[in-house]
Amino acid sequence: MGLGLLASRALRSSRILTSPNPRNTILRQIVSTPELQNPEAAQAQPESSPPDLPHRAPVAGARVHFSNPEDAIEVFVDGYPVKIPKGFTVLQACEVAGVDIPRFCYHSRLSIAGMKIKTDTPIAKKAREGVMEFLLMNHPLDCPICDQGGECDLQDQSMAFGSDRGRFTEMKRSVVDKNLGPLVKTVMTRCIQCTRCVRFASEVAGVQDLGMLGRGSGEEIGTYVEKLMTSELSGNVIDICPVGALTSKPFAFKARNWELKGTETIDVTDAVGSNIRIDSRGPEVMRILPRLNEDINEEWISDKTRFFYDGLKRQRLNDPMIRGADGRFKAVSWRDALAVVAEVIHQVKPEEIVGVAGKLSDAESMIALKDFLNRMGSNNVWCEGNGMHPNADLRSGYLLNSGISGLEKADAFLLVGTQPRVEAAMVNARIRKTVRVTEAKVGYIGPPTDLNYDHQHLGTSPLTLKEISENRHPFCSTLSNAKNPSIIVGAGIFEREDKDAIFSAIETIAKNCKAIRPDWNGLNVLLLNAAQAAALDLGLVPESKNCIESAKFLYLMGADDVSLEKLPSDAFVVYQGHHGDRGVYRANVIFPASAFTEKEGTYENTEGCAQQTLPAVPTVGDAREDWKIIRALSEVAGARLPYDTVSGVRSRMRAVAPNLLRVDEREAATFSPSLSKPESRQEISSEPFGNAVENFYMTDAITRASKIMAQCSAMLLKK
Amino acid sequence: MASVVKNALKAIRERGIGSFVRELRDEGYLYVHLLRALILLFPALECLIDKETLKCLFDGNLLQTKIHNIGATLVGVDKFGNKYYQKLGDTQYGRHRWVEYASKGRYNASQVPPEWHGWLHFITDHTGDELLMLKPKRYGAEHKENLSGEGDEYIYHSKGHSLNPGQRDWTRYRPWEPATKA
Amino acid sequence: MSFTLRSVKVAPNSASLEEARTRVFDFFRSACRSIPTVIDIYNLDDVVSPSQLRSSIASQIRKNSHITNPKVIDMLLFKGIEELNNVAEHAKQRHHIIGQYVVGTGGLVQDLGTKDQANSNFLKNFYEGNYF
Repeated sequence: MGLGLLASRALRSSRILTSPNPRNTILRQIVSTPELQNPEAAQAQPESSPPDLPHRAPVAGARVHFSNPEDAIEVFVDGYPVKIPKGFTVLQACEVAGVDIPRFCYHSRLSIAGMKIKTDTPIAKKAREGVMEFLLMNHPLDCPICDQGGECDLQDQSMAFGSDRGRFTEMKRSVVDKNLGPLVKTVMTRCIQCTRCVRFASEVAGVQDLGMLGRGSGEEIGTYVEKLMTSELSGNVIDICPVGALTSKPFAFKARNWELKGTETIDVTDAVGSNIRIDSRGPEVMRILPRLNEDINEEWISDKTRFFYDGLKRQRLNDPMIRGADGRFKAVSWRDALAVVAEVIHQVKPEEIVGVAGKLSDAESMIALKDFLNRMGSNNVWCEGNGMHPNADLRSGYLLNSGISGLEKADAFLLVGTQPRVEAAMVNARIRKTVRVTEAKVGYIGPPTDLNYDHQHLGTSPLTLKEISENRHPFCSTLSNAKNPSIIVGAGIFEREDKDAIFSAIETIAKNCKAIRPDWNGLNVLLLNAAQAAALDLGLVPESKNCIESAKFLYLMGADDVSLEKLPSDAFVVYQGHHGDRGVYRANVIFPASAFTEKEGTYENTEGCAQQTLPAVPTVGDAREDWKIIRALSEVAGARLPYDTVSGVRSRMRAVAPNLLRVDEREAATFSPSLSKPESRQEISSEPFGNAVENFYMTDAITRASKIMAQCSAMLLKK
Repeated sequence: MASVVKNALKAIRERGIGSFVRELRDEGYLYVHLLRALILLFPALECLIDKETLKCLFDGNLLQTKIHNIGATLVGVDKFGNKYYQKLGDTQYGRHRWVEYASKGRYNASQVPPEWHGWLHFITDHTGDELLMLKPKRYGAEHKENLSGEGDEYIYHSKGHSLNPGQRDWTRYRPWEPATKA
Repeated sequence: MSFTLRSVKVAPNSASLEEARTRVFDFFRSACRSIPTVIDIYNLDDVVSPSQLRSSIASQIRKNSHITNPKVIDMLLFKGIEELNNVAEHAKQRHHIIGQYVVGTGGLVQDLGTKDQANSNFLKNFYEGNYF
């Protein structure tokens, strides 16, 4: 109803505008501004159209008369630009461009047949009712048991535009349900053949799994052969399906959408920081949906983001625990647990104290951990995934400098040791979009992988990188011919020994192809974890490279993937975290902490945009927020940290990294072409690049605890 | 009582003392008799014998039922082992069907399952075995005797009662369980 | 309600503080005598011991120890007797007893002495819970 009103109002106002000009007899108004069309297509077309397009004469000498030169707008017909006055129809524009569109009813000297747009007449109403009746003819009346009920486009529109009765008395058709895997539930009888899912799969997700089979009443959506939908973005078809044909399998029959409380927060399972809405009922997270953010995730999220939430309800640490002399954990009070840790931390030498922040840590807890360990005299604190000698001096050295949405401007990509499809699915979707629209060339160096767009596999080891940096590789010409070349380096190489050499090779390449300019910074690092960027901003850099080997007191703040093999057996390990994952098995004391859905925390994503999570559900058991635990421990240990509130922690953060306080703003690294690092004396090793992420579905403590993610990796990652 | 004794004497007369004793022995009563005699001789044995077995000896009802059974027809045995007898002819009408409980020590009317209840109380002439065939397979709870007075763990506590074993766990998350051997 | 009112006999007002005091002690004794029954009918064996309940009753009485007006004491006594009757007649449910007399208003965390005196407010709140 609202749309109709709006359209009629727009029409009325435009009629008023055109009426003073008697010569303008065009009745039909068509808005053909390029910005309302596909924006990237509009931007990309002039670049891709060859300049030597032959000039085409307008059909039958059609002339354009500009009553007002300001009204001229430019449109592109077959890539050929034409200037037309505002208000021209597409048909007329084509005519001016010299393209003859076959037609019968339109004639330039006659009025456009019957084109008087009315949206609120009884006939319009009846026509809508008729369409609604056709749509509902074969749609089952099972809204009461349908998961889409309450947020169904068809339900809304039939309420708004439909008739209150139908005349269909025959049997409704039924369609066999398809098995699309563990995430998407299908009830194909409800499908109205809008083909949104088919178009999504082929255009955005880049898998040709879904298609339309049959015609007429036998038309149905399906996988052509019995096949699961193998895309890391498959969950988005649930959102775009306007009816209940594609719904969430884990959410099936769990809740109704009006029972849910939505909390707008961000995702921390990868470094993208996708904007999400957590729908919760009481103390339970019921589902996760994407939020629109054109700069980061558009309106998609990956399957991991959407479906890992059941991991939040399993394997939770809910009580402080101390490992007794018999090697068993015993639940104790916070008072006792803190006292034990505070006693032990005073018995070791300051340089033997080591702290590791986990991949899901928020900036508040990381600054608290750093401050606490500094007060205890230790400077060995870092964030897992950043390696033992990270480059935290220049922000441009660890950020995705062109920004996620900025990748759309690139016309050549060089992916070095990164598989964006599994490391950051939303960044991959952005690259795919760019490749699809502008046919940008992609070169990839790393282990064989399945990228869902055309790419050249240049090699597997850094030696290929060296060839490119020395201009000995055919891909060099692609890079140097590109206007906006983009080099994306995976954060997996942070852990490599020859990291500095690789980076200096990449910088040479960037210099050769002019990827770093004041208006374009195409040297990008794609991080893996949500905590990495903030940790480097806050300066979580270990003092000595092999502090793990000499550690006597190890504080793991949610760090599960740090290698503890070299840790001395008499070291005292404190694990602070929310899941009983890999880290707890070596721990002596466990502090239960809140997960990101239960606390307010600042995270910085891979492009340098600080974002905050908001608590959606209460924390479980006797758990506490991360920074509060460290603050309490610091007081018990006699090195009291000077902040008592989260705003206190943030003002401390402001002193270290003020960009973390500017929430939802992307703080790009400062452009500094003159700042070149000293030439690395390291030799590039020939060891091939590895997979930074082995299993897309299980990368951290929460996703590893999730049953759905386990199902996904069992069914979808089968080789 | 007199008639019972008369019946017993009649049965003995008819079939001879040997068959009567044999019948009793089949039922395990004679064995108990012998045991009792042994206990009188060797009191130390007493601790070995089940108290329940002894109890039935002194239980007049059981003995009376036993004597009553003589000459009656065994109509059926239910799944708990209760035996259903009927004697038509020289029995008082309304007392011609009875049950001999499987449990000799502790028996009560609630041990009769519903399918036999109707037959036993002259509600129907169909025996329990016949009625059992009409019982729906998919639902219908198993019969449970009334265990009042047997202790809290035996009696029924409604859902939500603090003693109901099937308390619903309302915790919405599963905590991590430390491994038993670390 | 009616049956409790019927069973509660309103005694004449205490003439003196001394008499009120005696009555309070009588009430305490009768309350203590009812403890075994209360534990039995509310299935409290595994959550509380008779001595705990006794001290709970005593603390309820001591809470008003500063009152010297015999009329007020009589009034409180009346309320106490009424409550005791309600409890003994099973007019309450198990969780009422647990909530009011076993856990008490202080919560499960009992007073842990003066250990916390030196702590900051932050730490005191931290031990209480996550949200402050």
